[in-house]
Amino acid sequence: MATDTAETMLPAGIPSIDTMVAREKRHARKRFWTALAFMSPALFFVGVFLLLPVAFNIYASFTGWQKFSGLDRMVGLANYQRLFSNPNFETATSNTILWVVASFFLPAMLGLGLALLVKGLKGEETFKSVYFLPRMFSATAIGVLWYYVYAGEGIFNTALRSVGLGDYARNWLYEASYATPAMIFTHLWQQVGLTMVLLLLGLNALPTDPLEAAKVDGASRWQVFRHIVLPLLAPTIMVVVTVSVLAGFTSFDLVWVMGRDYPNRSTLTLAVNQYWESFRAGYWAYGAAIAVILGIIALSISWVLGWLQQRLDRR
Amino acid sequence: MTALDLSTLDLDAVVRKEQKAARPKVLTLGVAVVLAIAWMTPFYYLVVSVFKSNTEYGQGHPLALPQSLEPILVNVYEAWTKTRMADGMFNSALYGLFGAGIAMFIAALAAYGLTRIDFRGKTFWFMLIFAGTIFPLQMYLIPLFLGYTRLGLMNTRIGMILFYIAICIPFPVLVLRNYMAGIPREMDEAARIDGSSEFRIFRSIVLPNCWGPMTALFLIQFTWVWNDLLFSMVLTSKEDVRSLMNGLMVLQGSYAASTPNVVMTATLLASLPTVVLFFVLRKHFMNGLRLQGM
Repeated sequence: MATDTAETMLPAGIPSIDTMVAREKRHARKRFWTALAFMSPALFFVGVFLLLPVAFNIYASFTGWQKFSGLDRMVGLANYQRLFSNPNFETATSNTILWVVASFFLPAMLGLGLALLVKGLKGEETFKSVYFLPRMFSATAIGVLWYYVYAGEGIFNTALRSVGLGDYARNWLYEASYATPAMIFTHLWQQVGLTMVLLLLGLNALPTDPLEAAKVDGASRWQVFRHIVLPLLAPTIMVVVTVSVLAGFTSFDLVWVMGRDYPNRSTLTLAVNQYWESFRAGYWAYGAAIAVILGIIALSISWVLGWLQQRLDRR
Repeated sequence: MTALDLSTLDLDAVVRKEQKAARPKVLTLGVAVVLAIAWMTPFYYLVVSVFKSNTEYGQGHPLALPQSLEPILVNVYEAWTKTRMADGMFNSALYGLFGAGIAMFIAALAAYGLTRIDFRGKTFWFMLIFAGTIFPLQMYLIPLFLGYTRLGLMNTRIGMILFYIAICIPFPVLVLRNYMAGIPREMDEAARIDGSSEFRIFRSIVLPNCWGPMTALFLIQFTWVWNDLLFSMVLTSKEDVRSLMNGLMVLQGSYAASTPNVVMTATLLASLPTVVLFFVLRKHFMNGLRLQGM
C-alpha cells in the first residue's frame, strides 16, 4: 500500500490518489473506445465514400490523367492553367457567377416577401403548401416540365401574349442572353417555397414583446419591420442565404435537363462543365480541377457567411 | 382598482382604425390567391397535357381542358414501357428506403456516442463526420467513378445504396446531436448503475425518444435520394439498376423517340410518389424543415 505522507492519513479502505487517477484514466479510455465504437459506422461511411474521394479528387487535379492513363504522372498546375485558356470555362464561370449572385439575394428576399404575405392570412397553411409544392418535385422533373413551359408555343409565351406582352415572347432556352436567367427563374420558383417556410418558422419564433412595445410607441409597420423584425430575423436569414447559395451554384440536374446539347450551350455552368469534361470527354484530371475550383468557391462562401453570422451573434 | 373611464374612449376612431386594418387584409389575400394560381399553372398544364393525345397537344391551346380522358391510357402505357418505369420505381424506392433508412440508424448511433458518453475531443470527431456536408457534390464524382469501377461496384444496386447511406449521414448527425443533448441523462446513469450495456441504453432509452426527428429526417433524405439524378448518372449506366429520374432524363433527351405529352406523363408519374408522401405526411415534412432551419 501507499507509504506517502499524504496518503498515510487516509483511513483504511479508501484507495490512494494514484489508484483513483489510474482508474479514472482507465475509465476515460474505455469511454473513448465505447464512443468511438458508436461513431465508427458513420466514420467509415463518411471517410470512405466522401472524405477519401475529396482527397483523391484534389490529388487527381495535379496529374495528367485523361482517358485511360496518366494518373501516375504529376503535371503540377497545368490543369488549372488550362482552365483559363478554355472558352467553355469562361462561359461556365460567368454563368456560375450569375447563379451565385442570384441565389444569394433572390431566394431569401422572395421567400421573405411570401412569408410576410401569408403570415396570419386566412388559409395560411394552404398557401404554404401551394408555394412549397414545387420543392417536392425533383429538379429533373421540374426541368423537363419547364423545358416545355418555355417552348415557342409553351404556356410562358402564351401567358405573355394574353396580357399584351406578346412582343417579348421568345424561345427562352435557345437565346443566349435569356437562357440562364430563364433557368434561374425556374430554380427560384422551385426553391422559394422552402425559403418561405424557413423564414416563417423564424418569424413565428420572434419574441413578441419588442414588437408590441414598438406598436404602442406608435411605430409604423415599415419602422417595425426595418428596425425590429429584420435585425431579430438576421440569423435565420443568414441560414437561408447560406443554404440557397450553396444549393444554387452547384445545381446540376436542372441545368443539365433544360440545356441538353452540352457543352456548346450558352447555359453551361461549372457543375455541368465538370461533368461533361470528365464523363463525356474523358479529361479526368481537368474535370477534377474544375471540381476543386467549385470546392474552393463553396468553402469561401460558407466561411464568409459563417464569419458574418458570428459578427451578427456578437452584436 | 380604478374603474375604466369609457367617456374618454373615442369609439368611432377605434372602429375606423379596425376597418383600416381589415382592408389591407383583403388586398393581401387577393395578392396571395392570384400568386397561388400563377404558381400552380405549370402543374395545371402538366396535368391537362397528360390527358391529351399528341395531335390534340400540338393543335389546341396549351391550357385548354382535354377533349376526352382516354389518351391518358396510351400516354401512361408509353411512358411506363419506354422508361421501364417499373424497374425505375423499384430501384429508386430501394435506394431511398435502404440508403436513407440505414443512414438514419448509423447517424443515431454516432449522435449517441457524441452526446451521451463523455470523452475528450468530441468536437474533432463531430467535425470529421460533419465535413461530409461542406464539399460540393462534384468533388465526389470522379473518385467514386474510378473506385467503383476498380471494385466492381459500378452498375450495382449495393454500390448505389452504399453511397446513398454515406451522403445521408452527416446532416442527421448534426440534428440528432442537438436533439439528444437535450434529453435528460438521469435515466442513462440509472441504467448504467444497473449494469446495462451502452447499446442497450441507446436502444431502449435514447432511441425511443428520437423517433420524431428521425422520421422527419428520414423523409427529407428519402426524398433527396428519390429525386437525385447526378449520382445515378455517374454510377449507373444500365437500365436494370438506374434510378427513376435517370430514366426520365434519358427519355426526355431522346428527341425522336417520344412526344411531349408522353414525356410529361412520365414526369408526373415519377413525381407522384414523393408528392403524395408530402400531402399524407405534411406535418412530418414541416417538422423536418424546422430541423433544417436550426
